[in-house]
Amino acid sequence: MVTKSRKSELSREIRRHASVYVLLIIPLVYYITFKYVPIFNGQIAFKDYMALDGVLGSRWIGLEHFRTFIQSYYFAELLRNTLMYSFGKLIFSLPLAILLAITIYESKRRRLSRTVQTLAYLPHFLSWVIMYGILLALLAPGDGVVNDIIKAFGGKPRAFLTSVETFPWIVIFSDAWKEMGWSAIIFIAALMGIDPALFEAAMVEGATSWQRVRYITLPSIRPVIVIVVLLRLGTILDAGFNQIFMLYSTPVLSVADIIDTWVYRQGLLEFQFGLATAVGLFKGAIGMLLILFTNRIVKRLGGSSLY
Amino acid sequence: MRKKKQVSAIAASTKGDKVFDFLVNLFLVFMLVVIAVPMWSTITLSFRPNAYIGSNLQGMFLAPWKWSTAAYRALLGNDGFLMAFKNSFKILIGGVATSLFLTIPLAYVLSIQSLPGRRYLTILIIIPYIFNVGLIPTYLLVTKLGLIDKIMAVFLPGAVSTYNTLIMRSFFEGIPNELKESARIDGASEIRILVMIILPLSKAIIMTIGLFYGVGFWNDFFRAMLYLNSNKLQPLPILLRNILMASGMNEFVEISAFGDAPIEAIKAASVFMSAIPMIVAYPFIQKYFTKGTLLGSVKG
Repeated sequence: MVTKSRKSELSREIRRHASVYVLLIIPLVYYITFKYVPIFNGQIAFKDYMALDGVLGSRWIGLEHFRTFIQSYYFAELLRNTLMYSFGKLIFSLPLAILLAITIYESKRRRLSRTVQTLAYLPHFLSWVIMYGILLALLAPGDGVVNDIIKAFGGKPRAFLTSVETFPWIVIFSDAWKEMGWSAIIFIAALMGIDPALFEAAMVEGATSWQRVRYITLPSIRPVIVIVVLLRLGTILDAGFNQIFMLYSTPVLSVADIIDTWVYRQGLLEFQFGLATAVGLFKGAIGMLLILFTNRIVKRLGGSSLY
Repeated sequence: MRKKKQVSAIAASTKGDKVFDFLVNLFLVFMLVVIAVPMWSTITLSFRPNAYIGSNLQGMFLAPWKWSTAAYRALLGNDGFLMAFKNSFKILIGGVATSLFLTIPLAYVLSIQSLPGRRYLTILIIIPYIFNVGLIPTYLLVTKLGLIDKIMAVFLPGAVSTYNTLIMRSFFEGIPNELKESARIDGASEIRILVMIILPLSKAIIMTIGLFYGVGFWNDFFRAMLYLNSNKLQPLPILLRNILMASGMNEFVEISAFGDAPIEAIKAASVFMSAIPMIVAYPFIQKYFTKGTLLGSVKG
């Protein structure tokens, strides 16, 4: 009896929302086509994909592609490069973003801090193609500004973008340059939320500026820092495809190739669709576990998660 | 905020505090230089005359009477460049329109708390977001749909961002329920409620999300590279990439077609020209994005 009335209540609710479901039709068709069909196509990771046979018609070969990938010599290299760039960027640019946020907040020269803030956000909106152009103007061996400075101090000009020693640094520095302002926003927002009474109390107690930062400012934004780090760890396998793709070249391949660039070349230049999909799937599965895991921790810490 | 400033103004009397203030401002000035120099050197490089003698370092302080606009004249007089600009605008307009057309109803439906099945719907849109199968499966789909060499192929696969949808949903959830309920009692359909009540109240968030989508479409080069083979369809980032990579590789572009400016000036000028729409839109973006991103981080 109870279930029956609940059922009729549900169907009444559904009927009441009939026009809502109408609104959903087109977005749902979109989601199924462009988000779920690719997941379905992901099955070719387990198949010997032949274009003529299509996704469904190709022969199942189990985990062979995964085995090929894990046993290959480039597996370790790709994983090492991917992690090197993600962690390198995290370790280098996160403290920079925090420092930028704190100095913008602490500075009493409003014009200066506002100018820095405005300029620092801007590069986030530029593409990596544009960034590549800026880096060329800056770093080119023959006619870049940086090499001019090196020459002025009597040093030897370097080909920063094509030498194995300098390339990883250029990747990490240019990412920091582009994104530090944007990453600082969330910390600036957290700083704005600090209760002014805390600073008044500190002043009454005779705290110095240093003590203020050490005992009020930093502890206040610590939860935000933890959450940002956790969320970044969730996407640690995304080392920045667009950036590497624009900046890398054959001479630096051994230190530049990350999982995503490899998938692109293997799949779309060498037409190894099955193998490339397997690697993409491998990365996607690990990425999903990491996101679920880090989000759970963030939620437990009382922050809001992605969903 | 103002209180804090008063407090620190009084506190800034000891020596340590003065050192602190000095270091804070020194760091900001340093950052200003670090951020501005690459931009400035690109801009001055783009105005470099053909017969320039001297280092690039000096070039950064190039006197205006030595400037040359040859690179810009060359670019603006080039059909390929103008066509690429036009293609980029097509992608921008088509992309933003499609994205908003799909995102707004989806976000609105997800924001209706009383909707049966809302939870499953949310899960349905989040699964593809956290499980990324990578490049090839989508490539196969686009090929199969016959979208190769269609402008649509550039914006359709990424037309809906789950993240943007969730931000918009949070905003819609914040609109008082009474407004919708009273309209429902009057017998208005959901589409009518969305158009007549929700949208006028949501201009800010729609602008924000539209700008986010727009920035993405304007900057995208990878999808265009994958899906557009025809030269006539190439958007600005692709052309820019070809120009930048054409040092000795003339198979990409006929640099000679760009007139008599030095090649570095052409490269820098095309970088600057590609960035101009972003720079023009930037004040609007800045006005809205803090609101938008904050919303996203506060509520989920």
